[in-house]
Amino acid sequence: MSQLTNPFIQPDGTKPSCMQMLQIILDEEATPEQKEFFAGHMDKCMPCFKTYEVDMTIKEMLRIKCRGDQVSHDLVEQLKNQIKQKIAI
Amino acid sequence: MEEALRQHYPEKEKNEIFNNEFLPHIRSMYNFGYRLTLDQDDAKDLVQDTYLKAYRFIESFQKGTNAKAWLFRILKNSFINDYRKKSKEPSKVDYQEVETYYNSEDVDRQITPDLRVEALKDMIGDEISNALNALDVDFRTVIILCDLEGFKYEEMAKILDIPIGTVRSRLHRARQLLKEKLSEYAKQMGYKNT
Repeated sequence: MSQLTNPFIQPDGTKPSCMQMLQIILDEEATPEQKEFFAGHMDKCMPCFKTYEVDMTIKEMLRIKCRGDQVSHDLVEQLKNQIKQKIAI
Repeated sequence: MEEALRQHYPEKEKNEIFNNEFLPHIRSMYNFGYRLTLDQDDAKDLVQDTYLKAYRFIESFQKGTNAKAWLFRILKNSFINDYRKKSKEPSKVDYQEVETYYNSEDVDRQITPDLRVEALKDMIGDEISNALNALDVDFRTVIILCDLEGFKYEEMAKILDIPIGTVRSRLHRARQLLKEKLSEYAKQMGYKNT
């Protein structure tokens, strides 16, 4: 395991907590370096590993169950036609 | 600032922008409208209203920029101005409290519901959707924008007219509340939470 400098450390030297690092990962705002560092960090931090697994599962479930993919083709076409009629294009 | 960048599109180009840059997002727009109002007819009205406004103000849209974020912003504003006012349901969230909490040291010492992946995987019905819908609309919104639509902090800040720090703290609290809700479901399914 390479000993990386923590890329989550802010310019003013503030070191982020586990929770703050995890949130950056979950919110998909992490840089490739931060992702790599966090992957290594989870090997040494069981609470982070457990929370990450649960949070990522929730995120995946949200994507599968709650995204617009479930909206029917008919409804989409109906909406498009109504809108186009109203603006006459 | 953006007012100064008003475009002048010929009619044909307007229609091309509308068809090629705006309409492809209609599914996400409807889903956003539905998740905000939790009513199919209201969602349809919101989407139609959003697209009519987008067409009317198309000259303030710069071709090739982030059409999706712009449409989401219009829909969110229509929801607040036209729908939420009528629905007599003001926000119940004390944001000052959320901010203070997030910025305090307690944030790492909080009691996180001990939710297990196996329990989540057993939730094959509408649990996740119901848990999302049960959140206060402002918390629901940030989860939709981030986790369903993949918007970045900066885009969310523009869509919602709030600072990036607030986006971050609201998302953090929203995730926590969602987990609490799912944890209740897990308990009902027979999983021990503690």
